[in-house]
Amino acid sequence: MRVEYINPFVEAAFNILKEVLGTEITRGELYLKSSSQPVLGVTAIVGLTGDVEGRVLFDMSKETALAIASAMNGEEMTKLDDLAKATINELANMITAQSVTKLSDLGYKFNITPPAIFTGEKMEVSDVSIEALIVPIEMPLGKLEINVAVKEKD
Amino acid sequence: MSNTSEQIIEKKAAIDFKMVTFSIAGKEYAVDIMKVKEISKERNFTYVPNAPMYVLGVHNLRGEIIPVIDLRKMFHLPVNETEGSEEDVLILSVEDLTLGIVVDSIDRVVGISKEQVQEPHPLFGDVNIRYISGVVDTGGTMYVILDVERIFGKEEVLAESHMEKVPEKTLPVKTIISESGIKELTLQFITETLSALQSFHVTDLNIAWVKRRYKEWKNIRETENLKLQLENIQDADDFLKPFYSPYTGVLWGDDYKDSIHKLIGEKEHGIMHVWNSGCGKGYEAYSIVCILKSGFPGSNIKVWASDNDLLNISSAPNLVLNRDQIPAYIKEGDFVEKGQGGFRFKREVKDAIVFEYHNITNRNEYPEADIIIARDILSFLDIDSQTRILQEFKNGLKDDGILILGSNEIPPERDWFRMEEGSLTAYKKA
Repeated sequence: MRVEYINPFVEAAFNILKEVLGTEITRGELYLKSSSQPVLGVTAIVGLTGDVEGRVLFDMSKETALAIASAMNGEEMTKLDDLAKATINELANMITAQSVTKLSDLGYKFNITPPAIFTGEKMEVSDVSIEALIVPIEMPLGKLEINVAVKEKD
Repeated sequence: MSNTSEQIIEKKAAIDFKMVTFSIAGKEYAVDIMKVKEISKERNFTYVPNAPMYVLGVHNLRGEIIPVIDLRKMFHLPVNETEGSEEDVLILSVEDLTLGIVVDSIDRVVGISKEQVQEPHPLFGDVNIRYISGVVDTGGTMYVILDVERIFGKEEVLAESHMEKVPEKTLPVKTIISESGIKELTLQFITETLSALQSFHVTDLNIAWVKRRYKEWKNIRETENLKLQLENIQDADDFLKPFYSPYTGVLWGDDYKDSIHKLIGEKEHGIMHVWNSGCGKGYEAYSIVCILKSGFPGSNIKVWASDNDLLNISSAPNLVLNRDQIPAYIKEGDFVEKGQGGFRFKREVKDAIVFEYHNITNRNEYPEADIIIARDILSFLDIDSQTRILQEFKNGLKDDGILILGSNEIPPERDWFRMEEGSLTAYKKA
């Protein structure tokens, strides 16, 4: 993964989460992964197209998803209903969009696809052919993992 | 509550390795379930005369005669002698050999995540470290995972795998005394410590250097009256200090420029592709771009430079130099400009390089390369990755392309043809 792409994603995630949740957040150590990996329970995916292609996954447990949705909506949510899912989608959209804007300022052209959300237990993502950058984010509401995999178009 | 259920989900989802656990002399061990053919309780093995003491005999497993080995005796652990009673036997399938091993008691099957497995420490007692593939702590119990391929596999077996010979070779203590003497033992210990402390893996790639260095090291340590063994990271670093190639962490000098110009030759070069793995802060990548630009001005150069150290690679695109760090060919080629805090490479040089945060053991996708540079990085990968990546290099290099490894790394002769040009050694595909 091109080094120029890393910071925009990390910064955007940091800024947006801090703004919409109003809590302290800390970033864990970044690392690379290429094997298939378990998914925590709720995963939003945003595709990237343009000069490069790839996708960004936002992975969290159901509890964390509910806590984030509650905080963003300003009301206590106990079920992962349509509103809660839409909220998580929106969060994924905001973070990816801001990253892409930052990248565009640097001269890299990306487009994003509408986000989609997956929920379920014991899920696994496998796309062994691309190396993914993992940005772990710790919040009082729980743990969020951002998984970015992009590659230059051949 | 949210926390615990999250942990459970995580734990369940992560299981990708199952092992059969058993105990010997009150300690817990494990082997990969894929190596276990079956488990059973057996007694009255047929005694084989003249066999080593840890061979209990042979056993008729539904028509197949298999050797049965007492793992406790083999590892010199105490045995509770219970004459004639049923013993717990693990039937293993190692390569094309089937054999039974007797243990105190077979426990259960435990599923773990491969990530939980930790490297064994060289100071482990009881069982020689060569035979341990890792340790894992799960459910509050610590399991030592035995590497049965190593213990019983072909590598250890003499030409004809006669049963008596198998264990003879595998017995750690005997190997050391009969075959090698104390000197080899220290070398072997150093090898193991290097891999544990610095993940430096001694293989055919670098064994020649390790042996030379060991002699040197012995002299130094003996005159200074210090222990030969590497006791901590500092010792391992000292041992490895001369391993690193010239111009590590600085721009390549003019002698390397001349060597590379000669190695590449005079022919037409339109587009030149370079892979540079383990580029660190980017010195190698910048050097090669300037060298190629000064030697082949008309060509279009593209360098893919990667490193898995995030901090180093992040600083690579904006590398700042002092005037005295810059070799003559870079000054003459007018490749740098003065900026804030020092000299920086010009846009045309930077645009020729893509810096990537990338781990070479993951999939490498690059166009066919004219030059591959991977100095002093393969030695820090395990042997399987070394072999695999060298093969990738071979596939990814053009027929007249050159490979530059660390100056103390030698790729297999059957695949690579050695070329020396001045102070630089490079390889072409054989």
